[in-house]
Amino acid sequence: MIGKIIAVSDLSVKILLNNPSEIKIQDILYANHNDHIYKFEVVEINGNICKTIVFDNVIYLKKGIPIFKSEDKLAIEYSDQILGKVFDPYGNVISNDTLKSVKKKNVYERNVSLEELDIQSGLLLTGIKVIDFFAPIQKGSKLGLLGGAGVGKTVLIKELMNNVFKKFKSNSIFIGIGERSREGKELYDEIVKSNLIDKISMVFGQMGDNATSRSKAIYSGLTLAEYLRDEKNQDVLLFVDNIYRYVQALSEISAELGRSPIENGYPTTMISDVSKVEERINSTREGSITSFQAIYIPADDYTDESVQTILSHLDGQIVLDRSIAEKGIYPAIDVFKTTSALVDPDIIGKRHFDLIEKSLKFLTRYTELEEIIVVLGIEELSEEDRQIFYRSRKLRNYFSQPLFVSEQYTGIPGQLVDINDVLDDVENILNGTYDDVDESKFLYIGSYGRK
Amino acid sequence: MQDSVNDIISRKIDYIANQNNIYHSGKVIKLNEFIVEVTGLEDVFYFEKVFIGNEENIGYVDKIEENKVIISLVRTNGQIAVGDSVIATSEALMAYFSKDFMGMIVDPFGYDKMTGKKINNGTYIPIETPKIGIMDRTDVNRPLETGIAGIDLMFPIGRGQRQLIIGDKKTGKTQICLDTIVNQKDKKVICIYVAIGKTKKELKRLYSQLVEKNAHVYTIIMASFNDDLAPLIKLTPYAALSVAEEFMREGKDVLVCIDDLKKHADACREIALIAEKNTGRDAYPADIFYTHSRLLEKGCQHKDGGSITILPIVETKGGDITDYISTNIISITDGQIVLSDKMFQKGQKPAINFGLSVSRLGGAVQKDSIKMIGSTVRRELLSYLETADVYQLVNEESMSPELRAKLQEGKKIMEALKQPKFSPFSENELINKFKFVIHMPNQDSNKEEVDSDGDII
Repeated sequence: MIGKIIAVSDLSVKILLNNPSEIKIQDILYANHNDHIYKFEVVEINGNICKTIVFDNVIYLKKGIPIFKSEDKLAIEYSDQILGKVFDPYGNVISNDTLKSVKKKNVYERNVSLEELDIQSGLLLTGIKVIDFFAPIQKGSKLGLLGGAGVGKTVLIKELMNNVFKKFKSNSIFIGIGERSREGKELYDEIVKSNLIDKISMVFGQMGDNATSRSKAIYSGLTLAEYLRDEKNQDVLLFVDNIYRYVQALSEISAELGRSPIENGYPTTMISDVSKVEERINSTREGSITSFQAIYIPADDYTDESVQTILSHLDGQIVLDRSIAEKGIYPAIDVFKTTSALVDPDIIGKRHFDLIEKSLKFLTRYTELEEIIVVLGIEELSEEDRQIFYRSRKLRNYFSQPLFVSEQYTGIPGQLVDINDVLDDVENILNGTYDDVDESKFLYIGSYGRK
Repeated sequence: MQDSVNDIISRKIDYIANQNNIYHSGKVIKLNEFIVEVTGLEDVFYFEKVFIGNEENIGYVDKIEENKVIISLVRTNGQIAVGDSVIATSEALMAYFSKDFMGMIVDPFGYDKMTGKKINNGTYIPIETPKIGIMDRTDVNRPLETGIAGIDLMFPIGRGQRQLIIGDKKTGKTQICLDTIVNQKDKKVICIYVAIGKTKKELKRLYSQLVEKNAHVYTIIMASFNDDLAPLIKLTPYAALSVAEEFMREGKDVLVCIDDLKKHADACREIALIAEKNTGRDAYPADIFYTHSRLLEKGCQHKDGGSITILPIVETKGGDITDYISTNIISITDGQIVLSDKMFQKGQKPAINFGLSVSRLGGAVQKDSIKMIGSTVRRELLSYLETADVYQLVNEESMSPELRAKLQEGKKIMEALKQPKFSPFSENELINKFKFVIHMPNQDSNKEEVDSDGDII
């Protein structure tokens, strides 16, 4: 026994320690009460009192209950056995499966030094027109998928899994944080059905789990990805849905511990907490981690402090917009905010770069024209503006795409599109080759020119 | 003199004798609305039920601190004073469940809200049950028909789905729930309507409508009133879902309407601020997302057969669905039906905003016969609404015939979607009314694919 409970609240328990020198931050403590094991992680030590956060719930806990210390800090399996398994954030297997032998690793230890960091690599094509065109990515990239509630982040991340994961068949890690359990199960079932379960390992701390659980999922998942990168020298795909929920969970913990928040209740340590995680998601010479991170935009506020903090770590971003979803155009991408570090003529070539610039010029003018038209009507526009107006509408429709994962909503089979076809089509739309084609012909198609 | 001393001593002895264990009682030292601070009570556990003064004042242990215990009151006669004794019960605060609840308005503790009497022959159940794990769930794919064309065709709801109904005051949110409940007649669905912060008048009117349609026989109304204590309001939907889970575990399909979660969030905010907790955005408690996410995660299709479908309601202001609480709940649910003030006033009822409404499950929960028509109606309609906006000032004669046909078709769909309350469409009625969208001749490549699948019609 190392101490006794002296205070209990919703998410935390205070413990009076017999000998403070034997307890350290991140130690795991436990109590056995009413035939139930309660676990806690130490987060603050003040003299002979330590504050802990609880793994599960605190119902039936009271003062005086004896507390014991676990051997290990938070750890997760670190061997080939991780593939095909589903874990909870505390490293327990929750799929119908068991580990034969146990070889665990602490989930907090690993970091990538500047020396081992690798930044060279080639383009990685997703087959999704709007991503390959406006926000091209490469192996080892970190791509953010941003959007408010219900504009299609999860659909897009599932489509990326479908296209990239199935195409490359490289091992992947999926980390579900604070999202729907139903979607987690559906994803698992789909992967089992397509016989890819042996190539993926999943960690779920979903929205029905408490803040401790949601805040640990990312560490456990990262440790799995690092195993594949560091020990197996693989190119790993990492899908995180949703990294914002990690910060959200930390806010709950921070409030519970009575720490002063920064704006909107975010924890004081938000910037360092995000950095701790993001700096681990990197590639080394031995292997790479390409990550796709969904980022929830709370209250549709793109300037939200936590969203901007996460964004500062990413190489590219895809922003989904409610006003576009409202028009029935999916993926509902805001092309003005969607970009990546690779949009550079030296990397993607001058033709691609020029087409992006010209598209954005057209679409910017189109948004201005939309306002004018509401007042004056199309007839009043100059010949040039009318051309921009019609071509931009075609362009906008063209960037919609039938997705494999949304066949069930649309009834239209999904399509992979080659970037060279996209470049040809965009060029032809912009230069007027397709002026006499009706705009609805561009909606929900793959390539137009190559049929 | 001697007498009065004896009196005090004997009273003290009685007092001690009446408490089973002296260490199980404490004294009120501070009272702030529904939060009571107590000293003593050294041996209580978190969420233990306690009495303050007498059995009319019930609370639960919300926090145990080094030298005091914080109690939240769920029921009071308003007569609590500093110095009152607080008696622990060694039991957790529990909800009560009886199959006799059917057709009644009850509170979480099994009292009939009409008569105030306790209902018997039931069992105590936890107010909040452990989460339903990922691996205990399975696909949501059986339809729960609302009977409303705009929903069943375009934003279908499946058994085990959570579908938000969101809109301003007086846009028909509750009516959608009522229509849906009434439409469950003979469909073997148990309905639970959870009233949070409704006025007594509203509730009575709602109850009489259910009785009139004979829908009360398969419906439980679990309610906390506007003037109930905030901690009770906070617990009410959890208790209702706990009741729903009892039915689900028996393999039954349950529909739970929660009306509404904005008021629930406001009650939680009230509690957090009175309890002086650190707050987050808009002064809501930092864990308000989790408060709602763990509640709505009870909605599921269980692998053992039963299901809980949840229709939470959120009231908005000025048609803004991007405020904090609304977006939180949108991000939890499997879709949303957005109701629009403008549509309502134009007489387009139910006043669904077709652009902003979504069902993430879509066709997966529709029968094949409905699926094809539904997705076509939705595509045509969205395209019509967007085009109508842009081309509203264009002279009709100067339009291309394609465009003119599209606009006419759109108007026809809008007209067909109008539906008075309590007049549900059956599956066949829906197909007959909307099959015209499939037969429309056009040259669009996508729609030709639809035509070639014509065997579905």
